[in-house]
Amino acid sequence: MAELLFPLWQIDAQEYRAVCTHLRLTPQERLYERLSRYLAEAPFRFPRPGGFARYLAKPRLTRFRIARLDAITKLFLPAHPLRHVLNGVIALHECDPQGYRELAVAPLGWRTLFTVFGQALAFVANLSVSLPWLAWQWIGYAAGAASRPADGLAGKRALITGVGHGLGRDLMLRCLEGGAEVIGVVRSREARDRLQAELPSCARATLLVADLAIPGALSAALRESHIAAGSVAIAILSAAIKHDGKSVLSLPELRETFQVNFFSAVELADWLCGATSDLRVESATMADRDGSAASGVAPVAAAPPGAAMGDRALSSTTRVVLVSSMGRWHGMHFSGGYNASKAALSIWGESLDMELRQRGHRRFTVTVVEPGIFASGMTRQTAFTRMLFVSREKVADRILSGALAGRPAIRPPGWFALLTWAICLIGRNNRYRIFASAKPRPDR
Amino acid sequence: MNRVVVVGSGVSGSHAALTLLERGHDVELWDVGRSEPPFPLHGATFHELKDRLADPIAYFLGSGLDALVPPASPELLRYPPSRAFLTSAADELWNFTSDGFSAYGSFAKGGLANGWGANALAFDDNDLAEWPVSFADMDAAYKTVYDRIPVAGPIDDELTPYLRGVHISQPPVRLTGSDRRLLDTYQRRKSKLKKLGVTVGCARLAVVTDPSRADACDYSERCLWGCAKGSIYNPRQSTLKDCETHRGFRYVAGRLVLALRSKGNSIDGIRYLDVAARQIREEACEAVFLAAGALQTGAIFLRTLKAARAEAAPRSEGLLDTTVVKIPFVALRSIGHPADARSFQFNRLIAGIVSDESTPWPRYLHAELLHLTSLIYHPLIERLPFDTRTSARLFFALKPALGVATLFFPDRITSGNQQRVVDHGGITERVELHYRESEDKERLIRQSVATMRAALYRLGCLPRGIVRSPPGGGIHYAGTVPMGEGAKRCDATGRSNLFGNLYIADGAAFPSLPSKSITMSLAAHATRVARLAEL
Repeated sequence: MAELLFPLWQIDAQEYRAVCTHLRLTPQERLYERLSRYLAEAPFRFPRPGGFARYLAKPRLTRFRIARLDAITKLFLPAHPLRHVLNGVIALHECDPQGYRELAVAPLGWRTLFTVFGQALAFVANLSVSLPWLAWQWIGYAAGAASRPADGLAGKRALITGVGHGLGRDLMLRCLEGGAEVIGVVRSREARDRLQAELPSCARATLLVADLAIPGALSAALRESHIAAGSVAIAILSAAIKHDGKSVLSLPELRETFQVNFFSAVELADWLCGATSDLRVESATMADRDGSAASGVAPVAAAPPGAAMGDRALSSTTRVVLVSSMGRWHGMHFSGGYNASKAALSIWGESLDMELRQRGHRRFTVTVVEPGIFASGMTRQTAFTRMLFVSREKVADRILSGALAGRPAIRPPGWFALLTWAICLIGRNNRYRIFASAKPRPDR
Repeated sequence: MNRVVVVGSGVSGSHAALTLLERGHDVELWDVGRSEPPFPLHGATFHELKDRLADPIAYFLGSGLDALVPPASPELLRYPPSRAFLTSAADELWNFTSDGFSAYGSFAKGGLANGWGANALAFDDNDLAEWPVSFADMDAAYKTVYDRIPVAGPIDDELTPYLRGVHISQPPVRLTGSDRRLLDTYQRRKSKLKKLGVTVGCARLAVVTDPSRADACDYSERCLWGCAKGSIYNPRQSTLKDCETHRGFRYVAGRLVLALRSKGNSIDGIRYLDVAARQIREEACEAVFLAAGALQTGAIFLRTLKAARAEAAPRSEGLLDTTVVKIPFVALRSIGHPADARSFQFNRLIAGIVSDESTPWPRYLHAELLHLTSLIYHPLIERLPFDTRTSARLFFALKPALGVATLFFPDRITSGNQQRVVDHGGITERVELHYRESEDKERLIRQSVATMRAALYRLGCLPRGIVRSPPGGGIHYAGTVPMGEGAKRCDATGRSNLFGNLYIADGAAFPSLPSKSITMSLAAHATRVARLAEL
C-alpha cells in the first residue's frame, strides 16, 4: 500500500473499509484509489482545519470514531476532513452501479415511516454517545493546548533540501499540507520525476535538482532558479548521507559526507544571507583586512534575474534550520565521518547564529536540530533500535513548530537527548563499550 | 444584398441569422464555436448509464472529480467536465473580473442554450412595463419563434391568462406520480392557494413530446447531461441547421470578437481574437448584430465605445441579473410511493405568484416545482442536518417525496450595477462586473419566499430552508446596452444610438429582466431586431 502523502486528509485502505462499513457500502478498491487521489488534493482545495477539528482529525479512523465524528463534524465541526471523506465516498459510490444500488435501497408504503422514525431514533442514540465522547475529547484537547504548536506555515515559502525521501520528504509534505509553498531540492532528475508524479498537480511545490555531493551544485541550482532568497521564510537543510561501514580514514567518503552534510549548509546559508544582506561583504572585508584569504566564501554574486524584485513578497524573517543529529555528541567507528560532519554542522550553525546576531541581522534565526534515531534509512533497523525509534512525522512536526518559534535548538525526543548526554558523561571507555556493539548498516 | 455579421451562435444569434437569411441577406455567423463531446448511449436512462458506461464516475464527476461538490459548498450541482458548454473565470478566454458576481458564459456552438432549462414563456405587457416596446410589438416575432421551436404544455389551464404569447404545439410532458399528487392537492385546496396568489400548472417546455416524431422525448432523465435525442430545443441542432440550408449563410468558428472598429457613426470593422492562432486580427464589415450574450455583447460595445469616444466613460448603463432562490420541500403525500422509472428530468410543473392589479411590476413571479428524479445526490445528502449515514438513509427513503421550488426574481436597472472596462494589459481588455442586490429586490425575495413557503404548506409539503445562488449564479443576464435614450443604449428596434449599422440582438438590449424564463424572448427580440433592421 502506498504511503499517504497527507494523513490529515487522506485515509488508508483499512480506514476506507471502516467508512464503508459505517455507511453500509461495499468497499471497492478502484473507488478507494480515486478517493485517495481526490483527498490528496484536499490540502490545496479546501480550508485547513484548525484547533479542535485538527486535533480530532489526527488519530486513525476506527468504526467507533467514524460514527462519533460523522455526527459531531456535521453539527459542530464542518471543517473536519472527515466531512470530505464521507461526502467523497457517497459521491463515488452513487456514480457506481453497485454503490448506487446499495445506497438507493428504499422502503415503500408504511415501512418508509418506520424507516424514518428508526433513523431519527438512531440519530438521537448516536448523539447520546457522541456528545459525552466529544466532551472527553475536548478535555484532552484543552489539557494539551499549551504545548501544542501554533500553525504558522500558511502562505510562507519553504526551501527544503533532501525532499526525495525520509525526513526531508516528510518536512515537504507537512509544509504543503500547512499551506506553504515549497521549493524542494532533490539529488537527481529521476528522483524529481518520481516525486512530481507522486504529488498532486495542484501542489505548490517547485523541485530543483542538485547533487549536494558536488561542491557549488546547490548554489548553482538556487541561482538558476531565479527565486528571490528574501522570499524564503524557512530554509531547512535536511539532506544528509552516511557511509556506514566505511572507516573514518576513508578520505573520499569523508569528503563526500562533509560536502553533503556540512558544506551544503554553508552554501545554503550563503545564498540566503548573501542575497539580502551584506554579511558576505563584511566577512570578505574583514578577511582582507586580516590579510587572509576568504577561503570557502564565494565572491558576492550579482542578484539573479528576478531576485531583485522577487517573485513574491519578502519574508520578514528567515528561519534557517540545520538538521544535525544527536550523534554529533559522540564519535562512532566506521561511519565514514558522519558524526564528525554533524558535530561540525551543529557547531557551525551556532557560530552562524552568533555571527548574525553580532552583525545585527535580525532577519535570520538559526535552529539546529539534533534528533534521536528515526526511520531515515540511515539507521540499521533491529528490534532494539526500533524500540528507540521516534516517529519521523513527529520529528517533522517538532522541527517545523520549533523553527517557526525561532528556537535555537531542537532535540526530539527529549528522553533520547538525556540518554545520549548521560552516555557522554560516563567517559570514553564506557562509551566505547556501549557503541562497540553497534553494527554498521551495509553501505548503500 | 448586404453582408451581415452576426456575433454569437446562441438562441439570439441563430434566430437573428435565420431571420436575416429569410430576408435575403448574406450572413456570416462568428463564434468561438467549441463543441461538446457526443452524448453517449442514446436511450439509456440516467441511472442505466451507471451500469452501461465503462467509467461512469469519469462521466458524472469528471476524471479529476471536478464535479464532486465539496461539503459546505453553496452549489447543489456541478456540470461535469464532459459537458463543456459552460465557462467561467477558469477559462483561458474568459475576460471578465468581478467582485462577488459569479458570471458564466459559453464559448460553445449554440451558447448557453446547450444547457437551458427548456421553460418557454413569453413576456406580456406587464413584464415589458419598463420597455419602450409592448407585447403587440413583439407578438409577431413571438409567433415566428414559437413556429420554429416546438413547445409542449397544456393548451389552456389556470396559468394561461398569465402566460400570454405562449403557443403550444406539443402535448404536455408526462408527469411523475409525485407531480400528479401535488396537482391533485392543488385542485382540492385551490381556493386557499388562490388567496395567496399562487397558481400551479403544467410547465410550458421547449421539448418534442409528440410520440409520432422521431425526436420525441424518451424520458431518459438526462436533460441536465445533454439531451441525447435532441428533443429539447437547442439552436445548434435546429435553428443553425435551418440557417445552413440557406446559400448565403457562412458559419465562422474560432473567433472571439473583442471590439468593433468605428468610422464616424458607423461600424466598419471587427477586431477579434483568432483563437487557434492566438492573434488579434481585424476584418471589414458592413453591418453587425451583436448576439454574444449580454455580458460579451456589453463588453464588445464598451471596448468599441472606449476607442471611438474617448470622452465617454467605458461603463455600461446597466447590468441585470436574475436572482434564483430554491426552497427544498418534502411532499408528504408522496412518502412511501415508488419513484417513476423514466421521467423528464427538468421541472414538469410551474407555479406563478400573481399579485393584484395594485402591484405595478412584476405582477407575475415565476417559480418552477421540481420533484427529484435523477440527479447526482451527494450535495443534497450533505445538506441534510444529520450525520451522513442517517442523511443517506433518510434521503433515499424520502426521495420520491423530495422536491425543490425555484423562484426567479426580476431585475431592473440600478445605479452602480454595471460593466466597466479595465485595462489590465494582456491580450484583451478585461471588463469588470459590478453588481449589488437592491433593497427592493431583497424585499420582493423575502415576501415571495414567505408566500411560496405558505403555499407549499397548503400543498401538503414541508419546506425546509432556502438555497440562494450568489449574484450571477442564475445565468440570466441582460441590460448591458439597454433600449432607451443615450449613447450607451440602443433604440426600440435594437439599433445602437451611436452606430447606425450596429444592432443589439440579444438580452443586452433588455431594459429590465422579467421573472419569466427569458430564452423565448431572446429569440423573439433577435427575430424582431433582424426583421426591422434597415439594411
